[in-house]
Amino acid sequence: MRALLVSIVLASSIAVADAQRGGPPGPQLPRVAAPIDLTGYWAPLITEDWRYRVVTPPPGDYTSVPMSPAARKIAASWDPARDEAAGEQCRGYGVGGVMRLPGRLRISWQDDRTLKIETEAGSQVRTLAFAGGTAAPTPGSDWQGVSRASWDRLEGPMGAGAIFGGGGFGAGRATGGSLKVVTTGMKPGYLRKNGVPYSADAVITEYFDRFDLDGGDVLLVVATETVDPMYLSQPYWTSTHFKKQANATGWNPTACSAR
Amino acid sequence: MTSRRSQAVALAAVLLAGARTLGQAPPGAPPPTAQAPSPAIDLSGYWTPALHEDSTERGAGPEMADYSGLPLNEAGRLFALSYDPSRLTLRHHQCDGYVAPYQMRALGNSRAWEERDPHTHQLVAIHWFSQTFEGKRTIWMDGRPHPPAYAPHSWMGFSTGRFIGTALAVRTTHLKQGWFTRNGVPESDQATLQEFFVRRGDHLTHTVVVTDPVYLEEPLVRTTDYSRQPVDHQNWLFPCDDGEQVLDRAPDNVPSYLFGQNPGVAEYRKKHPTAQSGHLGGGATIHPAFASAGARNESALERPVAGARVSSVAISPEPTDGDVHVFRIRDNVYMLVGDGGNIVVQVGDEGPFVVDTGTGRLADKTIAAIARLSPRPIQFIANTSFHADRTGGNLKLRTSGADPSVRGTFFSLQFPGAGVGATIMGHQNVANRMSDAKAAADALPTDTYLEERRRTFHNGDAIELFWTPNAVTDGDSFVHFRRADVIVAGNVFTTTRFPFIDVANGGTVDGEIRALNDILAKTVYAHQGQGGTLVVPGHGYLSDEHEVVEYRDMVVIVRDRIRALVRAGATLEQVKAARPTADYDTRYGALTGPWTTEMFVEAIFKTLRK
Repeated sequence: MRALLVSIVLASSIAVADAQRGGPPGPQLPRVAAPIDLTGYWAPLITEDWRYRVVTPPPGDYTSVPMSPAARKIAASWDPARDEAAGEQCRGYGVGGVMRLPGRLRISWQDDRTLKIETEAGSQVRTLAFAGGTAAPTPGSDWQGVSRASWDRLEGPMGAGAIFGGGGFGAGRATGGSLKVVTTGMKPGYLRKNGVPYSADAVITEYFDRFDLDGGDVLLVVATETVDPMYLSQPYWTSTHFKKQANATGWNPTACSAR
Repeated sequence: MTSRRSQAVALAAVLLAGARTLGQAPPGAPPPTAQAPSPAIDLSGYWTPALHEDSTERGAGPEMADYSGLPLNEAGRLFALSYDPSRLTLRHHQCDGYVAPYQMRALGNSRAWEERDPHTHQLVAIHWFSQTFEGKRTIWMDGRPHPPAYAPHSWMGFSTGRFIGTALAVRTTHLKQGWFTRNGVPESDQATLQEFFVRRGDHLTHTVVVTDPVYLEEPLVRTTDYSRQPVDHQNWLFPCDDGEQVLDRAPDNVPSYLFGQNPGVAEYRKKHPTAQSGHLGGGATIHPAFASAGARNESALERPVAGARVSSVAISPEPTDGDVHVFRIRDNVYMLVGDGGNIVVQVGDEGPFVVDTGTGRLADKTIAAIARLSPRPIQFIANTSFHADRTGGNLKLRTSGADPSVRGTFFSLQFPGAGVGATIMGHQNVANRMSDAKAAADALPTDTYLEERRRTFHNGDAIELFWTPNAVTDGDSFVHFRRADVIVAGNVFTTTRFPFIDVANGGTVDGEIRALNDILAKTVYAHQGQGGTLVVPGHGYLSDEHEVVEYRDMVVIVRDRIRALVRAGATLEQVKAARPTADYDTRYGALTGPWTTEMFVEAIFKTLRK
């Protein structure tokens, strides 16, 4: 029995040594450690919820959104003129709605720990800060809120970099990952431009995946979960897809419009 | 003790080897292959789609003329505008299932599980079962190739998968014609899918990229979210049996709207005054520029573009490599493809029974292929038509065979050559037409019939030849192997072109429709409108009743459009200019060759004017 234990320890030690030589390195800057490249220009392919995204839907048309009674009450009083008068014509361009609007994205690294998303629609700027990244705006002061980013890597049952390295039994050959972004502390805004509200207490979790297609096209899929007990009766899931552009063709940031 | 030490050393060796394998691939090692997938995610469990996008379309159903967000081309849009939902009352459409790209988006729960090799525990397949219409998907993970292009299509298609990073990537081919939305927006049998499944805990995101050159201007991308459920949803079955829904309806009645007459268009525009521009879909409408562009004239899109010349973009399923390929249909019945027209061979204790002989260009290879299926000489040949792609190999195949059933009978006393060579069956008009065309005497049918059917029991199966008067020609028949439940349609049904209605040799459009309905009168689907009776087209891939129904619908709809024009006094040139086949041209159309779209339109025009 002792021999068995010794053998296991010996094997484990060698494995760890192997992993240290050729396995996962120590902590890296998020930009260097990125398992996928999200930078570039991305154009939305508006094949879903078209009538609610390409144009501002008419008042009262909230199809598909699991709104709470409180949200319906708020939405029923939607008045774009009032938003304009209050200087809040960007309510529909906050983090809860801007990714669904018909505009391109420009994604770039602001620094080694901060990704930046600029939107054509409403000329918004989102900063996605990894640990140690550029300080986000003061909570509650910005439509885009405070976004914390991390790479969501594939991990084996023992977790990444566990005793055998490479992610544990059976998962060693897989690579890749997603960008996970959790946003809080935003100004309240609209999930849809016709006044479907989300509150300042909403928590918005996004997963960014990149898919390289046969034929050369590249897709970005952003799966979004919005949790807002005040205005949503259940977590609200959408997934929004974009196609990568080779360059800045068509890039034309526009101002917010409440209408 | 020795034994324990050995075990310990062995375990250490295994662990060490595993650690080396898992921690670091040796330099130059090939990347992981589909044959040995490394499961990145496990889809097993119960899944419920989140209906937070397009919930009306996916739930209660879309409005009649709302194709927004769909990158339809002209053919796709016109097909949808022509679609009358009453078509679903037709017997052969009542149990139509959903095609995979729609099924994955549909209402209803799904269940996924893995299939593993019992000995190696390698992942063989991932199964995905959907409650709605009992959609059964199998995603093969063992590296097997996709079937040949002439293999059958199904609602779910044929899928193979591999893990790429954190995603399961799936490629799907061999889909049936179906719809992208339930208001008739078509998905063609030429569509292929690229899909990505990404699971994060109890959430799954499914991305599908549909490439369909027949009906789409550019690939359709959709993303759908699912939540994992901890318990069995129950109620997994979705039974369907067809029945009479409209009594006394004529068998050639296929509900459709003439171009420009879909009442759903005005209805939609009245209901959605702020979202009119773009509701008929199109590639441009899904891009950001459309949102900022001025209003589009949707009315101009309700009819075919005048003067456009469009041909099929479908991939031919017929091999052109100079070989004859053998495909087992069912039991003892095989399809031979490659010689310019499908050939069917039935084998057994008696000599092979062959239906049609191709163009004859590869007759020697056809004979060799049949010899590999049966040691006995070809005994019977049945011709479904006199056309050269049905009878071209008659002479060689007959000469290579023999019909022992007439040797030593009074026939052989009267005709010394009786039974020397295979017996060729066909309608008398086949013999007459071949004789008129000065075909070799030994290539002509010798066992002919004049009416209804010819029947025989051979190789353990009842075989019936049904005459279908004045369809493609005046001598067409289809052949039914009753036990195997395989119908050989001849050129009455193909998956590659508009029907070759040979007016000069007795063909008519109404006869063609009758012939297709005669075939449908004998088919029985296995489940949800697919499988069961298999139908071999004269050209194209092995089919079942669904492909025949879609083809029948197409012929009826085009006929009805031309008939309406003729009744309005249109000339042939005016009929051609109206493009009555516009929604089918990308699937079946031809601008050149032996059977063009214009010839098809002219054939219908002529027979309607008779």
